Amino acid sequence: MHRILERMQSDLLDALGLAITVHDKRDDEQPSVLAALGVGADFADAQLSGTGGPVPDALAYQVPVLSLDLWTDDRWPELTLATMRERAPEHESTWEQVHGAAAVPGVWADDATVVVCCTLSQPASASTVASLITYEQLVSAALITTAAENASAIADIITVLQSRGAIEQAKGALMGLVRCDAEHAWKMLRRASQEFNVKLRELAVALVEHISGAPAEQPDTGTPITPDERTREAARLMWAALSEAPLAQ
Amino acid sequence: MTNSQFRMSAAEAEQPPVVIATGDIDLANVNEFQDVLTSAAADSDAITVDLSDVTYCDSAAVRALFAVAATTKLGLIVPATGTIMTLLTISGLDRVATVTTRD
Repeated sequence: MHRILERMQSDLLDALGLAITVHDKRDDEQPSVLAALGVGADFADAQLSGTGGPVPDALAYQVPVLSLDLWTDDRWPELTLATMRERAPEHESTWEQVHGAAAVPGVWADDATVVVCCTLSQPASASTVASLITYEQLVSAALITTAAENASAIADIITVLQSRGAIEQAKGALMGLVRCDAEHAWKMLRRASQEFNVKLRELAVALVEHISGAPAEQPDTGTPITPDERTREAARLMWAALSEAPLAQ
Repeated sequence: MTNSQFRMSAAEAEQPPVVIATGDIDLANVNEFQDVLTSAAADSDAITVDLSDVTYCDSAAVRALFAVAATTKLGLIVPATGTIMTLLTISGLDRVATVTTRD
């Protein structure tokens, strides 16, 4: 996916952000950002969590959506420069350069849709849309191939994205405890979720809540993840085992 | 190029060629629609597409219109109210094409 985004970026020279958002309605999941470059992820997340914008509209109506000037576009009164500044102040100078945007939807499986979106420093044109249409076909083809190879892979990716915050926190905690890198922490989480036969995202939430004694960070969109007792027990056991023998891993 | 559903009238003095579409435009015939648009745009830097008598059109038609607008100045004639106008507004196609409404 990232390679496709990089090719898009070399094609769309005015792009400040690019994002691929997927929505798999079979699992009753919320749309989530699958891959992004530049301010793409922040921009897509904002649109999906309430401001509205080209991405949710393209998903909802299944038509390409173009905007000449996002911040003044009357279709999304809540999507403004001030909102984005507040949500992602680290990109302040980029938000000030934003003008146009375009989003193109596609369907890659029954009830599973994808939107390719770009944010530009220039007004978007019909050519922007035409070029995104080409890339959407590429993205959809890649998704179909991945889905065919491993039916659960895509669902896994999406559910993982849903709980990105908690998983990042859990990984961070493991890295601190076991003194390993992110890759290793990720593998430990995966292995534990398989051994205890609990969902990885629920385990991550349970782990974070076990360590901190407070609710884990969760996205505003979607249903919050509430781990069941078995998952909480798994998290306790995992943490205890690692705390006792931090070098065993 | 002519067929029953998508007709093209040649460019007249100072006027761009006009593609007149009727009936439903969907996945089944969007390639035909696209072909007519492409050939109309081939010899002209502007075309007009008359959608007044289109009864249904969806994403496929919007994509075809964006594609032709990428290379040609596009004019659209559409009913003032109804789903086609809504589709143009949602997609923002009305911002890159010149839209004329017809009651």
